[in-house]
Amino acid sequence: MSEDAKSEEFEPNIVAFLCNWCSYAGADLAGTSRMHYLPNVRIIRVMCSGRVNPLFLVNALQQGADGVLISGCHPGDCHYLEGNYYARRRFMLMHKLLEHVGVDPGRVNMSWVSASEGAKFGDVIEESVTKAKEAGPMDQFRRRRINW
Amino acid sequence: MVDSKKLQDKARETLVRDDVRRLIGWKRGTYGYEAAPTVIKDASDAEALIFDPTCVQNLASFLTLEEKLPVPRGAEPDTRKVAVMVKGCDSRAIVQHLLEKAYGRDDVIVLGIPCRGVIDRRKAEKLFGDVATPVEVKEEGDKLVLEIGGEVKTVDRKDILMDKCLRCRYPNPLVSDFLLDEEVEKFADDDFADVDEFEKQSPADKWAHWEEQFGKCIRCYSCRNVCPMCYCVECIVTKLRPQWTRRSTDISENTAYHIQRAWHLAGRCIECMECQRVCPVDIPIMTLNRKLTRDVKELFDYEPGVDTEAQPLLASYNPQDPEEYIM
Repeated sequence: MSEDAKSEEFEPNIVAFLCNWCSYAGADLAGTSRMHYLPNVRIIRVMCSGRVNPLFLVNALQQGADGVLISGCHPGDCHYLEGNYYARRRFMLMHKLLEHVGVDPGRVNMSWVSASEGAKFGDVIEESVTKAKEAGPMDQFRRRRINW
Repeated sequence: MVDSKKLQDKARETLVRDDVRRLIGWKRGTYGYEAAPTVIKDASDAEALIFDPTCVQNLASFLTLEEKLPVPRGAEPDTRKVAVMVKGCDSRAIVQHLLEKAYGRDDVIVLGIPCRGVIDRRKAEKLFGDVATPVEVKEEGDKLVLEIGGEVKTVDRKDILMDKCLRCRYPNPLVSDFLLDEEVEKFADDDFADVDEFEKQSPADKWAHWEEQFGKCIRCYSCRNVCPMCYCVECIVTKLRPQWTRRSTDISENTAYHIQRAWHLAGRCIECMECQRVCPVDIPIMTLNRKLTRDVKELFDYEPGVDTEAQPLLASYNPQDPEEYIM
């Protein structure tokens, strides 16, 4: 199978952890303004990007996600003042660690999307999907028997 | 080289103090190239204590192992100190414990030993084979003289020392109440060349390497148990609700476990290399930790286990932190 044919068939699953106050509202805005964004994304709402444990990523990749996206408020705009600063440190390191283990760096994405950036949300999703498509199906350490 | 008489005298002197409960040190092992850790409560047992290049264990691990039982009503809790012998690298574990407030500075007496490197059992076995009797080692300049079952062998330091010693940046204890020897000069440095070398590979090659290595893991959790920084009362790998990793030893759960373990040591690992030393299936676990150590140093200019007044890396932030990969 050629590289093109594979990426045409393959539709990645992206798990997105969106913060309640900015990114989730941004996604909501994209929806209410009837902007089109790719349907590959499964959204999990969390109260703050600082709430996302980096091990969520590992767990998502184990359970069938082909890519993960964490999105929060822009630095300085956090509803809890500093949650996204902590998140930024953590995911920077987790990104590097997963890269070291051999996970394609395109599978782990992070973005800042504010409540007024519906269009940016669409772009972020599109970019994540493109990167995940390039990386191909996540078959490195997916659980073979989910219901075991 | 530490004078064992001086070391034992200091241990006796410490143990007879009223405010000292016990002392953790090394004694001669029963076989092979490694000494054995020992806990001494009575000053008359101090003559068993030794220090030489076979004393590889990081004794700081034992400080957090003690079970804290509830104190009976009316009784006073035992607040006596524990004395512990540490090499330069082990002392960083104590610094990191103090930083994380695992115990107070007043709860420990640190007997620091400046160290010029310890023996790697695996390298020694390759050179001289397995031995059933305890090996004694003497230092002679750049050579080590090993007495193996009556035979005397001489070997270059660089051929037999542990990898961590060949790139040791802290040969002298960073925290200590008493130094048992003269401070030694720093004899090596760390440029993380092995991490850079590994980084050059493609993701597929990296995964091929780790798939093989993680596939060997039998999940005995030795690496976690021996680690001085892994002292959570309830560890997430044994927790059932929520269950982060399942207990089966397949490639998926093994990978998740190793990522979790390395992640929980991000910005905390003090590179004593105990995890890799105890691994029964020879997984190069330290490669993951060293990668994180290097990144933490490059990205956040932070080094764990050096300054007791520092903030824990992941419990602090800098508004100017790098964010080049964020969209």
